[in-house]
Amino acid sequence: MKYKTVWYPFTEHPESDSCWSLSVGPDGRIYAAACCETTPGQTVKVVRYNEETDSLDYLFDLDKAVDDPRDSGRATQCKIHYSFAPSMKDGIMYMATHLSGPPIDQPVYSPLGSWHDKERCFRGSALIAYDTKKDEVLWWDTMLPKEGCRCLLHDEERGLLYSLSYPRDHFFIYDIKKRKLSDMGRIGSVNAQTLFLDSKHRVWTTDDYGHVVRYDPEKGRLERSPYILPHNQQMQTGWHSVFYDVAPSPDGQCVYAVPWLNSPRMMRIWPNEGEWGEVEDLGQVTQGFDKKHPPDFFVDHCGGLVFGGDGMLYYVASRWKEPITMGHNNKGLEGIVWRLDPNTLERQEVAVLDRPNENAHYVSRGAVDHNGDLFFGHVHTYAKPNGIFKVIMPEERKRKNAHLPIRMWG
Amino acid sequence: MSLPGARQKALEIFHETYTREGTTIAFPMCIPGETLSIPADESHITALDITRNGIVYGGTSGRAAHFFTGMFTGSTGMVFDLATIADAESCTAVCCGNDKFIGCVNDAGGGHIFMRDLQEVPFDITQESSIYNKPLRDLGYPVKGERIIHAVRDVSREHVVGITENHLFVLDIEKEQIELVGEVKGSGKLIAGLDGNVFGMDEPDALFRFNLTKRTLERNAVRLPGGNWQNAPLIWARDNVSGKLYVADNDGYIFSFLPGDGFSERLGKTNLSPVKAMAVTHDGRLFGFCGEEISNMFCYNPAKQEVTDNGVAASVIERRRYGYIFGDAVLGRDGQIYFGEDDDLGHLWIYFPTITKQVLENIEE
Repeated sequence: MKYKTVWYPFTEHPESDSCWSLSVGPDGRIYAAACCETTPGQTVKVVRYNEETDSLDYLFDLDKAVDDPRDSGRATQCKIHYSFAPSMKDGIMYMATHLSGPPIDQPVYSPLGSWHDKERCFRGSALIAYDTKKDEVLWWDTMLPKEGCRCLLHDEERGLLYSLSYPRDHFFIYDIKKRKLSDMGRIGSVNAQTLFLDSKHRVWTTDDYGHVVRYDPEKGRLERSPYILPHNQQMQTGWHSVFYDVAPSPDGQCVYAVPWLNSPRMMRIWPNEGEWGEVEDLGQVTQGFDKKHPPDFFVDHCGGLVFGGDGMLYYVASRWKEPITMGHNNKGLEGIVWRLDPNTLERQEVAVLDRPNENAHYVSRGAVDHNGDLFFGHVHTYAKPNGIFKVIMPEERKRKNAHLPIRMWG
Repeated sequence: MSLPGARQKALEIFHETYTREGTTIAFPMCIPGETLSIPADESHITALDITRNGIVYGGTSGRAAHFFTGMFTGSTGMVFDLATIADAESCTAVCCGNDKFIGCVNDAGGGHIFMRDLQEVPFDITQESSIYNKPLRDLGYPVKGERIIHAVRDVSREHVVGITENHLFVLDIEKEQIELVGEVKGSGKLIAGLDGNVFGMDEPDALFRFNLTKRTLERNAVRLPGGNWQNAPLIWARDNVSGKLYVADNDGYIFSFLPGDGFSERLGKTNLSPVKAMAVTHDGRLFGFCGEEISNMFCYNPAKQEVTDNGVAASVIERRRYGYIFGDAVLGRDGQIYFGEDDDLGHLWIYFPTITKQVLENIEE
């Protein structure tokens, strides 16, 4: 069975080159970030899929919302990077910005090189509380001064937002009520791309060498697992085995994860088993390649992990026809939507993302809306404007409120 | 052993065996954690050169030859296997032009030349890598059936001068054209002086001089100093500041040669022989490896006019390895020296020489 895919370009933000964040909001609708990381002096716009008009609504420009103009000469509020986090009790969608977009008069931005440059340095990750009921920004705060927010998580019961900063790779806790930030220390250099929460309110991520890192509020410190996450032992060591995307299973007992690494492997992690959880290696999700050549992280990729209303895990993995060394701008790269049965672990190809005349192989995040359809954020910095995909679920596999229980991290 | 001082003596015996001055680091022939290394029996590094901005290029020998680049500046840190020449068993020279590199290998057809654009320096690969390869261009055989003994580039990086078993040739890098410029029986390595002349072994105990500008070949132009030069591999190193050329004879005697002034007397003798690979760092010190089977590093310091032994190469930072045999050396951008390990599972070694401690009068920590 093949699912239909529909492409929605960010036509009202022609300079947008990437969609790093796509999540379902507390209202069951799909929110996405139309990011601008390659164009100097630009900003990210927050968009939402409008099911009435079958189009995208442009909610606001980040630079205006947080009073950090795109032409300030500083690094810009250019993107939201895996940093949408819902709040169910009050309908707020939290979002935190990330850096990389260059100042208006520079071709690129080096956050390390400009750290001490008062005129250039990124002002900081802006945390925004967006009321999805009233469609307005309730408040904002500079959450991470000088740094970007790589990923965000909301522990709603405790009123805490967890984040990883870039470039210093620190683990931060933000108390929403007190508007107070606590720095729990540095993890590494690469930056994991996801945090996840378990039923004991522990927050999990990874370090640069594939060790699982866990913050336990009871202990108030970061701890590292003695083991390394699964990787291809032929040429990998665990280095760069940082989480890329993690999706919770609907029953909340385990998560499915892929790393930000070539030859990504699907993992199933049971965080409550044993002292450090139990990790199952479910195997490589992309095809093999000539391992003596360096892989392109923008070609050999997997992301967009999301459970559908049918209880199946969906994700998008890249597929290529030409040798992988030809690069990510090469034609012939495809984004394959896979459907994995958690019981049998068999997977089935259900769609090929169809972006007219362009590659569509790199998916950042996936989400399911309250109608049960799937959405995927897409990154292709060479083909502007960027956009998102809708993958229409067959009626018999749809479920109302399929987004519940909702994912609490970006 | 319970004699007084035995433990101290034992520690000295162990640790003084290895790199006594400076730091040696072995870097694997891959992007660590991301790619496979060049196969062990194809990774004997036998040729090295460096670009103006400090990017290393090299060639390997073994069951197949490879061309590779090594990048260690900024947030790079990798050896990238650029190409496999499956039919070749040895790489005798790699030369970096201004925007291309040239590799010389030997296969069943003789000495064979390939060319490729220099590799683009990638963005921060600590974060994510996007590294693309480019195809090699086959420039053919300078002389079909004759192996290439060695080749060097000139200082302008516009030409390569090479020698086969019986011929001297010039490659114009920009035009990609090979021209035969003389008949010489090839033996040992060549060296390009800062003055535009290229020198190589001629009849016994003499060097030929080839002037690149005038395209003139002068046979037996320079008499070698007294020493053992019989079938000498003629391992050279150039001091890029003074223009002085260093060479060692079969017995490890080191000589300097300044084109125009001629050879020096013997400057010193390495602890072992023959000398395998050497290069001169920015302050004029000459570092190299000498001896068969398990080589020792040596240093000739012209300021002190002495040769010292620096022990066996050992890498203890991240990659633990002993270095036994080295096939070529090249000076790095910042005074470090890259040594190519000519062994199974060869590594690219980076040697950081000691910086001399300045001692103020009456104040020393």
